[in-house]
Amino acid sequence: MSLLLILALAGLMHAARSFTVNGSIPLGSGTILAFGFVLLTAFFMGRIFKRVRLPKLTGYIAAGILIGPSALGLLDHAVVDQLKIVNGVAIALIALTAGSELDFRTFRPLFRSIQWITITAVLGTSILLAIAVFLLRGQLPFMADMTLHHAIAISMVLGVVMVAQSPAVVVALRDEMDADGPVSRTVLGIVVIADLVVILLFALVSSYAKSSFGAPGDALDTVSKLSWEILGSLGSGALIGGLVAIYLRKIEGGASLFVITVTFVMAEVGTRLDFDPLLMALAAGVLIRNFTKAGDQLHHAIESSSLPVYVVFFAVAGANIHLGVLATVGIPAAIFVLVRGAGLLGGTRLGARLAQAPPNVERYAGMGLLPQAGLALALALLFAKIFPEFGDDAAALTLGVVALNEIIAPAIYRLALVRSGEAGARSAAEEAETAPGPDLPPDAADA
Amino acid sequence: MVIKTILGLIALLALAYLGGHPRMRRIEQRLRISQVVTAGFPFVALGVVAALPSVGVLTHSVLDDLTPLLRFGLGWIGFVTGHRFETRSFDGLPKGTASAVGFATAMPFLTVVTAASVLLLFSSEWSETTFHDPVFLRDALILGTAGAMTARTAARLVSGVSNGNFSRVRLARIIQLEEFAGIAGLAFIAAYFRPTGPDIGWQLPGTAWLFLTIGLGATIGILAYVLLRRPASGAESVVLLLGTVAFASGLASALHLSPIVVCFVAGVLLANFPSDSKAKLGEALGRLERPIYLLFLVMVGAILEIDDWRGWVLGAVFVVARLVGKWLSANFIARYTDFDAHADENWLASRGPIGQLAIAIVVSAQLLFPEGSIPIIVTAVLMGAIVTEILVQILARGGGSPKSGIANLSDGEVSAPADPDSEGGGEAPVAAAGEESR
Repeated sequence: MSLLLILALAGLMHAARSFTVNGSIPLGSGTILAFGFVLLTAFFMGRIFKRVRLPKLTGYIAAGILIGPSALGLLDHAVVDQLKIVNGVAIALIALTAGSELDFRTFRPLFRSIQWITITAVLGTSILLAIAVFLLRGQLPFMADMTLHHAIAISMVLGVVMVAQSPAVVVALRDEMDADGPVSRTVLGIVVIADLVVILLFALVSSYAKSSFGAPGDALDTVSKLSWEILGSLGSGALIGGLVAIYLRKIEGGASLFVITVTFVMAEVGTRLDFDPLLMALAAGVLIRNFTKAGDQLHHAIESSSLPVYVVFFAVAGANIHLGVLATVGIPAAIFVLVRGAGLLGGTRLGARLAQAPPNVERYAGMGLLPQAGLALALALLFAKIFPEFGDDAAALTLGVVALNEIIAPAIYRLALVRSGEAGARSAAEEAETAPGPDLPPDAADA
Repeated sequence: MVIKTILGLIALLALAYLGGHPRMRRIEQRLRISQVVTAGFPFVALGVVAALPSVGVLTHSVLDDLTPLLRFGLGWIGFVTGHRFETRSFDGLPKGTASAVGFATAMPFLTVVTAASVLLLFSSEWSETTFHDPVFLRDALILGTAGAMTARTAARLVSGVSNGNFSRVRLARIIQLEEFAGIAGLAFIAAYFRPTGPDIGWQLPGTAWLFLTIGLGATIGILAYVLLRRPASGAESVVLLLGTVAFASGLASALHLSPIVVCFVAGVLLANFPSDSKAKLGEALGRLERPIYLLFLVMVGAILEIDDWRGWVLGAVFVVARLVGKWLSANFIARYTDFDAHADENWLASRGPIGQLAIAIVVSAQLLFPEGSIPIIVTAVLMGAIVTEILVQILARGGGSPKSGIANLSDGEVSAPADPDSEGGGEAPVAAAGEESR
């Protein structure tokens, strides 16, 4: 039935497109039509995927690919660009969720694992990827003529870009699978910290690469920009978190609308002030969870309003996947996906063993580090801006890697959550907490 | 500049939200202030202020960016109106109701169309319309359609004594039939006065477009029925509802049809097909109603061309012609039909405020036909809505009604369980936002 509904929607969409002669339709109608179409199609595709035991999230992405400019072309590039307004809200909402899940009391026992796995898996894989890029430079046209020094510098930058994880996918899958336990918590902690590490590393290695290409590299300028971005994001995020907590505690009703509005402000205003909306929202969520009593209220407010945002966000991400690029850079991209996967899985095992983590963490946490989305794309675009001579080609390669990981990795993490027994554990724990205790005989109760 | 716009938009949203907050409604009841002051009018006023060049928040480019939201709002209003149109609820209406509704809508329609046509034609210098151009007729018909309808609040103003509840329910049903007539009028105008040109595909006759409109609405309705009857959680229901209305609004807009009409037809089908999920759907509609109306009203304020004096002149003519039409219809109903109108109903029928649907209809017309004198028609109808609402409140407080003090009815009394319209609340003319949200 879901498939029939998708076909019916696609038929109507095709009819609407055939109405225009020169591609001009009444102002605003294309965006709202695309929004409704994406929302419904992706939602039903998610249901189909769930039925075949794949993550709904992969279904949303697949729907985007299918209806997007690369495949059926029911959405054109202009409309996809207009729908990207959801991206900022979605990223901030996801980071707010991640922050509100980071309860220090619960996470304290996992800190050692998180720390070691971040070092071995994230930093280790970054180095491994840099080596792979360097070794494969002959196969990459944009690096073929570079000097050794330049090739090393660019390999380092690409290694950092390609290792980036996706808190968005991790949080969305955790919600979708209703998962809780050491594996999902460790993965959440790592991807959040890795996000910070990757931003810092990118700033450092790109500055080095810039200077190696003769561009004036001002270390002080880099440090001040980074400080502004990171400290400013964390500070403003904490401030916003305080305001949200006051609202949730003092004002009755409208919490969902308020939270969505706040995430919109963080995404749109924060970006224009050179803050990172992800860090802002993360700081806000952490503050609300750990320093106020409004953590659960925030969780409920997000839960009831986030699904439409997530569905459109992942579908638009799918629509942005350029299948043409994948065809061009497919082979090197596939090699880097394999290197990245091997590095993250191996690094996680090593890190978990060093931290004496539970066996499930050692076995499955690495699978949670594979998903990739927004941050890698953002860094790839930044890379293209910093190195305009060959940045576009390098960005295309990164897009290929991200596209493959976007399609494959959520299913792998879903499998990890199922195998580790953490899928559905959150509801089970909540039910156990709310369930009445066993009936005791009166005298036993008195005692 | 962009940050200012974003923060301005957020401030508008926050203020509008606070204006419709339950606490604000309680204060309103305690102070006996009209809803037009505390709810709808401030939202429109906020839109007007935000669009001023000196404020520069809702500039033309920002409004263009927000047009999808406006189209969505129109579709939502059509959908909600249609979903309330359950045909079984009209079974108990007394004899003569059809003729009474015919008079109640036709007389104001005719007087407004006549007056507006005369004004637009005889002042062609400033109205920019001529007898040879059918645009003047189109614009007069739009104004007449808007004038034919009464706000749903009119039913709330009937006193609660003796058979008051019965009257309230009956009047609510009659007003729903008026809304139906208004939406049918908009469907005709959209079908027969279509834009033409090389960029427009599907060159079909007007009648074909009328059938296409109904067919599209029915298709969306059936699709929505299949979509929404499937088991879904609360969040999933929101996704389905948002998606359905957005898709229907976008599809209608892309085909140069009115989203209100298409979504209304879809809503009617949904309301009248057997389903266990009607209550859940009503709940989801109620949950999202307020934010959508708030944004919609602010944007209506922003597109208002307040400094164009022609709108105010047309507004004055519109209000007077409508009052004359309402008065004529009340007399005709009493003289030529078997309809036993209660005194309150007559009072309301003659002075009934203009509803939010009327405003939505002219806004929809503006999006369909951005040229011509439509912008001044929006001003005229909005002015009419405010003036008639104030008039009703003054008359109610000053004993102009046969039963004085009717304005003092509380929300609880108005939406008594016997009132089938209590779901989602009733409608204040411009002031729908605060009320609709309950």
